[in-house]
Amino acid sequence: MNRSIATKMKHRGLIGGLLISSLAVTACATAPIAPQGSQQARSDLTDLQNNPEMATRARAELRDAEAAVRLAERPLDEDDAALGKHRVYMAEQAVSLAETRASTRYAEESRSLLGDERDAARLRARTAEVARARDETSSAREAMDAAQRAEAQSEANATLKAAEYQRQIDALQAEITDRGLVLTLGDVLFATGKAELRSGTIDNLDRLVDFLNAYPERRAQIDGHTDNVGSAEYNRGLSQRRAESVRHYLTQQGIAARRLSVSGLGMDRPVADNDTASGRQQNRRVDIVIENPSQSSSAEGTY
Amino acid sequence: MNPFVALYSSRRLGGAVGLAVTALLLTACATTPMAPTSDLAAAKEAIAAAEQTGARQHAGAELDEAQQKLLMAERSASREQMIDAERLAREARAAAELASARTELEKAAAINREMGRSADALTEEMRRTGDQQ
Repeated sequence: MNRSIATKMKHRGLIGGLLISSLAVTACATAPIAPQGSQQARSDLTDLQNNPEMATRARAELRDAEAAVRLAERPLDEDDAALGKHRVYMAEQAVSLAETRASTRYAEESRSLLGDERDAARLRARTAEVARARDETSSAREAMDAAQRAEAQSEANATLKAAEYQRQIDALQAEITDRGLVLTLGDVLFATGKAELRSGTIDNLDRLVDFLNAYPERRAQIDGHTDNVGSAEYNRGLSQRRAESVRHYLTQQGIAARRLSVSGLGMDRPVADNDTASGRQQNRRVDIVIENPSQSSSAEGTY
Repeated sequence: MNPFVALYSSRRLGGAVGLAVTALLLTACATTPMAPTSDLAAAKEAIAAAEQTGARQHAGAELDEAQQKLLMAERSASREQMIDAERLAREARAAAELASARTELEKAAAINREMGRSADALTEEMRRTGDQQ
């Protein structure tokens, strides 16, 4: 009994001590609540954690933030408001840091996408440019080629024409004068005193026919001339008949009569001295003047 | 062993432990901590690093906050309010680190904007030259 009282007393003392000490401890923790602002930090953190684009880019920072928020959420006694405030501040900073780092990494990672986009745009621009340049070049080249071809063609044509013309003139043995091409048919075509063409000596006339056929716009003036042997009257008549004989031949060869005019000039226009036999021979002639084409005639304008 | 004795000794032991814990808790609250030298140094370092990255330009508000916290921490330390000094120093460091992070984000965003602009400009240019056709 005695011993039991003693122990009871001791127990009482122990309980009292515990009570006092527990009081002292709870004094620091009466009505403990989570510090103000910790809920906000938690909700910010939760948002961040639920955003997959952010959460995957700041795992370490989010772990730190989680720890900081958890610490901030610990209920504290009113007396420790300053500590709570500090913890909340640290939690907020940790959440912000995680968010900022995640955003930075997101920006850096999307940069390669932007780079791709820019490269693609650049490529499109280049391609378009090249295509445009190619189009321009090819159309320019086509135009140039066409122009060159046309020019070459016309040059060739001109050359051909000029060559042909020259060949014809050469064949005619004609002389180029201001009036036109002058072809002189010597008296070898005619027997003395006769107006009929000697057959077999009409090559020159055939070449004239060729020429007139080749240049259908051209008109020809056929002038008969004589030496001074005989009366002027006779010679004019003779020269006229000879010229008409030439025209007759030409019309027989198919040259339209309207292109041909005739005159008998007699002995009025000698080209050589009538005192010598050779001079007189030169004066006995038929001149065929192939008129230069009129300026309006386009086909052979320059000829 | 007598059950009473066993009970008695266990209770005694519990009481001793309880007292020890209480004492520890009380002394924890009562001890005056040392000046938070290392926390202050870390804060200064973080602020310097933030300034180095260009936080003045890109994250002025955060940098200001960090510097103010550091100033307050140093004042608290000089008044021997070491707990406040330590907390403020840590807050200053956190603010400085956030300033650095914000700066990095601003720079990254600026680069992205620039790239986006140049891509847009190219597209626009191409569209215009296309229109000229």
